[in-house]
Amino acid sequence: MSRTTPRRATSPAAAGSPAPSAPLSKDSALAAELKALVVAGKRDAARERFADLVTLQQRRAVRIAYQYLRDVHDADEAVQDAFVKVFTHIASYREELPFEVWFTRILVNGCLDLRKARSRRLRWVLPATTAAETVSREPVAPQPGPEDQLLASERGRQIAAAVSQLPERQRAVFTLCQIAGQSAHEVSQALGLSEATVRVHLFRAIRKLRGLLER
Amino acid sequence: MMRHPHLSDDRLIDVCLDRAPAAIERQHLERCHACEERRASLARLLADASNVARAEADAVFSPERLSRQHARILQRVEQEARLGRIISFPAGHGQGPSLLRVRPGMRWIASAAAAGLVIGLVAGHLVHDLPAGGALPASQAVGTPAGASLQAVATTMSEEEFLGRIEVAIEGTSGSALRPLHELTPLVWEIAAQ
Repeated sequence: MSRTTPRRATSPAAAGSPAPSAPLSKDSALAAELKALVVAGKRDAARERFADLVTLQQRRAVRIAYQYLRDVHDADEAVQDAFVKVFTHIASYREELPFEVWFTRILVNGCLDLRKARSRRLRWVLPATTAAETVSREPVAPQPGPEDQLLASERGRQIAAAVSQLPERQRAVFTLCQIAGQSAHEVSQALGLSEATVRVHLFRAIRKLRGLLER
Repeated sequence: MMRHPHLSDDRLIDVCLDRAPAAIERQHLERCHACEERRASLARLLADASNVARAEADAVFSPERLSRQHARILQRVEQEARLGRIISFPAGHGQGPSLLRVRPGMRWIASAAAAGLVIGLVAGHLVHDLPAGGALPASQAVGTPAGASLQAVATTMSEEEFLGRIEVAIEGTSGSALRPLHELTPLVWEIAAQ
């Protein structure tokens, strides 16, 4: 499956601080337009443009949130909250940063908050069902694609189990780099870590995954 | 020509993560099947991990669910906008800070409320300090006027007993002045016998 957004160059100059003449990505251009409309007080028009922005980022957002939370309802809530926050705080968006980075940061913080809340809740509640049972799978396309076949295969299950065994920080970095298609520099901005730290976590995650799968 | 050593795991990971190998590394990978196989295996692992993670999320977030989520997000944004809308105050009333302006009617209401409070407090204080009802303590009842004691006796004695006591009192020495009056008055039991 193709990525929802093209992967950016890994150099900081290209990814984090685009030159003024560099063309904005489609989502960043939409976000800048949205901000201008909100600042001008044209909120109705802004809401219409916001719908396009949601469409652009939604699929990527649910993939990230689901990797973090492993629960369809929590992921749904986290994605909704993140988009509502984007609209509410669009006036504080800085156009010199890629929108994807700003949005990912909001989404990841929301996911972490939800996870904390869930762990507090689970401390006092006995689990009624296993995590696998709580996932309500909705009908998918009748013709399974190659990714669905991979997911259903033994190797797919092994990979999913191995990824879920990664420590939290390594999984977060791995998810954003490999699943959301972000560069190390973008992940460092989204998670508030240095780029070197992101690379260390990513390397460790890959080494651990390989060790788990080669056992 | 000097042979380049095998590429380390970290360098291979770097190569797989879009960091282009140096020219000498690229040449080594072209010649060394072991390193190329390690690189290909690592690249396959990364691709599979990405594909599995995406497939997992896509399996639970069907297009219908995404569509519902999209609508819900827009609905929530609409609600937020409605809640945050500020209604402008009519221009004619915008003379100054409204909290500091006092209307005459409000002043009267405030005065009446304060007066009612004071009266209520004073009345409550008085009621609390005075004894309740007309009942007096026993020590005060001993020295009361005769009317009060006769009334009390009349309620506790029968009529005949009361008259008998009067008779006894008249027959005493202190009642000699009343004897002529007694002789003129018929006795109760004589009338009853007739």
